[in-house]
Amino acid sequence: MTDINKHRDKFPQKNPDGTNIIDLKSGKFIKVWQGPNHPGITGNMSLELTIQGDEIMECKTHVGYLHRGFEKLMERRRFIQCLPICVRIAVPEPDFNEYCLTSTVEELAGLKIPDAAKWMRTLLLEMSRLQSFLMWIGGQAGAFGLGIIGQWSNYVRDLVLDRFEEITGGRIYHMHMIPGGVRGLTPDGFEKRMEETLQEIEKVMKDIETTMFNNSIFKKRSIGLGYIDPSMVFEYGVTGPNARAAGIPKDVRKDYPYLKYNELDFDVITGKNSDAFTRADIRRKEIHLSIDLIRQMMVKMPKSGDYMAKVPNVLHWKIPKGETYVRAECTRGEFGYHTVTDGSGYPRRINVRGPSYTHAVALMEKLAIDVNIADTAGLMVSLHTYPPEIER
Amino acid sequence: MKNLIERLKKQFKISEVVFQRDNEIFLTVEKMDAVSMITQLRDLEGFTHLVLLTAVDWLEEGYFQLTYLLNNYEKKTDLGVRVKIDRDKAEMTSIHHLWKTAATYQRELKEMFGIDFPGSPRVDESFILEGWDNIPPYRRDFDTKKYSEETYFPRPGRKTHDPAEYMKKKLYPED
Amino acid sequence: MSFKDVLKPFTAWKNLAIEPVSIKKPLERQAAPRYRGFHKNNLEKCIGCGTCEEICQNAAIDMVPLDGIETKEGDSGLRPMIDYGRCCWCALCVDVCTTNSLTMSNHFTWVDTNADNFRFIPGAENKPWDNEELGYKKPENYELNNPYRVEMVEIEPEQRDKSFLEIVKGFSKEQAIKEADRCIECGLCIATCPAHMGIPAYIAAVRNDDMEEGLRVLYETNPLPEICGRVCTHKCESVCAMQHKGDALSIRWLKRYIADQVPAEKYKEILETENIKKNDKKIAIIGAGPAGLSAAYYLALLGYNVKIFEALSGPGGMTRYGIPEYRLPYDQIDKDVDYIKSLGVEFQFNTRIGKDITLDKLHEDFDAVFAGTGLHLGRSTRIDGSNHEKCYQAVDLLRDVADGKSINVEKKIVVIGGGNVAMDIARTLARLQNQKYGKVQLIITSLESEDIMPADLEEIVESREEKIIIEPAWGPKKIKIEDGKIKGLHVIKCLSVFDEEGRFNPKFDENKKEFFEADMVVEAIGQGMDLSYFSEEMQSRLEMTDRHKVKVDNNCQSSIPWLFVGGDIVAGPDVISAIADGHRAARGIDNFLSQK
Ligand SMILES: Cc1cc2nc3c(=O)[nH]c(=O)nc-3n(C[C@H](O)[C@H](O)[C@H](O)COP(=O)(O)OP(=O)(O)OC[C@H]3O[C@@H](n4cnc5c(N)ncnc54)[C@H](O)[C@@H]3O)c2cc1C
Ligand code: SF4
Ligand code: SF4
Ligand code: SF4
Repeated sequence: MTDINKHRDKFPQKNPDGTNIIDLKSGKFIKVWQGPNHPGITGNMSLELTIQGDEIMECKTHVGYLHRGFEKLMERRRFIQCLPICVRIAVPEPDFNEYCLTSTVEELAGLKIPDAAKWMRTLLLEMSRLQSFLMWIGGQAGAFGLGIIGQWSNYVRDLVLDRFEEITGGRIYHMHMIPGGVRGLTPDGFEKRMEETLQEIEKVMKDIETTMFNNSIFKKRSIGLGYIDPSMVFEYGVTGPNARAAGIPKDVRKDYPYLKYNELDFDVITGKNSDAFTRADIRRKEIHLSIDLIRQMMVKMPKSGDYMAKVPNVLHWKIPKGETYVRAECTRGEFGYHTVTDGSGYPRRINVRGPSYTHAVALMEKLAIDVNIADTAGLMVSLHTYPPEIER
Repeated sequence: MKNLIERLKKQFKISEVVFQRDNEIFLTVEKMDAVSMITQLRDLEGFTHLVLLTAVDWLEEGYFQLTYLLNNYEKKTDLGVRVKIDRDKAEMTSIHHLWKTAATYQRELKEMFGIDFPGSPRVDESFILEGWDNIPPYRRDFDTKKYSEETYFPRPGRKTHDPAEYMKKKLYPED
Repeated sequence: MSFKDVLKPFTAWKNLAIEPVSIKKPLERQAAPRYRGFHKNNLEKCIGCGTCEEICQNAAIDMVPLDGIETKEGDSGLRPMIDYGRCCWCALCVDVCTTNSLTMSNHFTWVDTNADNFRFIPGAENKPWDNEELGYKKPENYELNNPYRVEMVEIEPEQRDKSFLEIVKGFSKEQAIKEADRCIECGLCIATCPAHMGIPAYIAAVRNDDMEEGLRVLYETNPLPEICGRVCTHKCESVCAMQHKGDALSIRWLKRYIADQVPAEKYKEILETENIKKNDKKIAIIGAGPAGLSAAYYLALLGYNVKIFEALSGPGGMTRYGIPEYRLPYDQIDKDVDYIKSLGVEFQFNTRIGKDITLDKLHEDFDAVFAGTGLHLGRSTRIDGSNHEKCYQAVDLLRDVADGKSINVEKKIVVIGGGNVAMDIARTLARLQNQKYGKVQLIITSLESEDIMPADLEEIVESREEKIIIEPAWGPKKIKIEDGKIKGLHVIKCLSVFDEEGRFNPKFDENKKEFFEADMVVEAIGQGMDLSYFSEEMQSRLEMTDRHKVKVDNNCQSSIPWLFVGGDIVAGPDVISAIADGHRAARGIDNFLSQK
């Protein structure tokens, strides 16, 4: 990796905001199109790069390869019918859509859900975080050439999906949360199988920690990459591990304890250096935290009791006019649904706030400047981006 | 939160205040006052996090509602600032100078709702829809079903029956 | 960074010696017991209501006919066909299935080169998973609709057993909307309703609190909604899709709710009947019962000049002269009838055709005649003593009560009969006993044992609440008379009522006897028709069915072309069938006269 600052004089002058002054006619620059099958993300997205040598001078994010108009489609669906759609907005971590959608609907309808349902939802969300981080870690390692990590992490992620399958009947799209509650509690013997899964993950994590985090290549390429200054956190709407790596303890689970998070014991994980390595390290610790939280839940969760409130006929369910926003802490940061109702049986508007919306566009475009082209994938993964939540 | 609303009321034209939750308020402010109020909220009241900026089309009433959802990270409170803008003159002052991410929201709103934010960076570049030649698709008068029926073809050979009509045909066709 | 960081990654090589973790035969992997795989449908249980199609936001389901599945009451005969090119395995269809017939298997692997094979009717194609126990089912204690009805409030027995106050209170707005919410709009009930009323449409109107729309839907097929909303036999409820989950919709009470909400003055405006264009044709109607009233209404809408001839002094037929006031207050009958009157229908009371005016005369003076004369002759047991003056016919007594005549109720009464008419007369007499003697001493005795008594269950329950004693499974033998006075009824045990072929053929045990003390006996074992208003010549031309009813075609036209017939003398007996007949006859008369 060339240290661009050592040769600054060979590169363009800077604007006050840190962007490079580029004169495309000068013949010094090349435009490169990266994507839409981009190694830096799960899904499709493109980067339009202006490079000089192999250094990125300017980056523009292009999305739209996955747009299916979900927000609009939901306006034509009864509230319950939005559920099978909404999960598709964040494929690798769909449960947050279920939670945010159901809880905005419940809030606007004035519906209280049973305690067991709250526990169940918390478990599903934490399991979802766990499997999403496991998938991410493979991507991050892969982007720096460590292909084997993804094989390992996907093996244990599959075990988590097995546990999802047991509870919900689905591996990827669980659709277990329903306005009013959930579709069932954990099956018999679940705790035991969950514990075995957690232990297997811990075992694999040990290997990952040795091979990835104690790895000179990984360290060399990730330390210092994609530095997010704490002052940028609010300006760029940075949340989740990306913000926590900058030392700002933003975590919706603590800041706005939802469901059962206030009955669980945990501390917010923060870092200092705010680079790709620190972010990776935070996510690594998050995996252990999720494991710990799931263990706590296995002890505290009720194994029986009501899990579904009485709801009116879902075919005609009308919800009074209103507007609300519900957020939750997904692996990538603040995930939220802004739901507006108009008294009819259909949502007036649902707007999904996915963390990638800010991280992958404005922030990525800023961070990519002066980065070596070989590091774009690593940089993007370090921001943890899911394109479908950008374009919904 | 109540105090904050009282303070804001003194300076700005505010209406429709809804205490949605203990820490979540929605209110409507006059279009003219909106950006100065949002600036004040960011600079003086601690609402430093722009959670989202979105629009709702109230087609029947003839206006777009913009919701600027602001978050006070220290006090852990949310304020949804609603602004109603004329559907026929869909234009709003840009806030790209307040948050770097605002430009992205505004670009999307231009594309999906046809709401213009003059001066916002790249606001006229397509964001998600390349080569779109219809009305902005998130407007309520854009009919997704019609569009998909015109654009795509259904799988042939499908036919359904309405139970009541089918029963009439079978059981009492003369009546 | 240290030298260790260079060496440590090499520990990954240790995995070379480890057994692979991948599943060796993935196609044989058993999915979890709750897995949402290919659907299964129990085709016997499924009623083809189409709710699964309605909920599916992917439009993956079509309702299609299937060989071997018949369309019958309560079952459309259609079955869901699923297009797996669209299905997203959300299982909402399973959750809402009204009968729980639809479930899922935990099969998820199936290879086929023909994409069209992935569109099939679950349960109909012998798929390997059809008998698979495992797979997603609707969870327990989990409903996406309210299975149970909103309870109807009734006045307490102590408050009602001395008076003729209406027992059923009717729904409040909140209750009605809540009840209407449960309807899944399948429309299965429409076929069973004799008048094929637009049930889901008027229930939707209740839900939307749009009473004017509700009234319009009611009057499309039924011009007596206040009456029907109270006393209809509600056959529709017996096939309501929701009964499979819990209770059928309270269809009847919802109809009453609509009619109760709209004031009579607004009917004409809402139903747009202020300016009906009249024609010059005249129709005579015999009998102001439901059949006659219904025919009159629909004929009046078509512009005909309609005149009703009625033997009794008021309109309504058996709804006024049979059904007691506590079930159907007279002013509610009047509300329905007055609206029909307001359309220009003429009524001539106290005029018995065949006695005061001949049928031939009507034929001369009018373009067509409709007869709906009902069943007004009480049937007798013809046992010893049944011709005693204190042995009455239920219908005669009920008519007298309705006419305001005073009745000599005795202290001890026995009512013979197990149907609703028996309950009606017993409960009427019990009220009168209470008023006169301050206590009830009344026995109802029926041939049928309690499980097969034809009376509605709620009638039996409410009768007992009103301190009536019910003695089922006794056959009346003889009325004991001493000094010219009735002393009671001798009965013998009835062992069975119907024979193997299901014919009425009661068997008794002569040795098991009982005696019910009484000084008055009432027979309520059925009514017959009185067709004496037909001349002998006409009677010979009038074709009858083998069930001794008048034979008519689908437009209620009898074998005498200008004579249309309907109501209890054709079908039923119940109000809604009579109404349907009236409607058909109006259509038939219109066809008949426009062809002339
Ligand atoms: C006690 C009792 C309770 C009942 N309860 C219910 C119930 O809860 N629900 C239900 O659906 N049904 C009930 N029924 C049955 C229902 O009342 C009849 O099915 C219905 O009224 C039939 O209507 P219709 O028009 O055919 O005849 P009717 O209602 O019997 O009307 C015939 C009319 O024709 C008149 N008439 C007869 N002959 C002549 C003539 N020669 N000239 C002039 N006028 C004549 C009669 O006076 C009468 O007014 C009950 C019946 C009885 C007896
Ligand atoms: S599982 Fe879902 S998508 Fe499939 S047929 Fe049923 S409702 Fe439709
Ligand atoms: S909802 Fe159930 S009963 Fe109704 S058609 Fe579908 S499978 Fe059959
Ligand atoms: S009343 Fe019952 S049978 Fe009739 S449409 Fe409604 S749910 Fe279906």
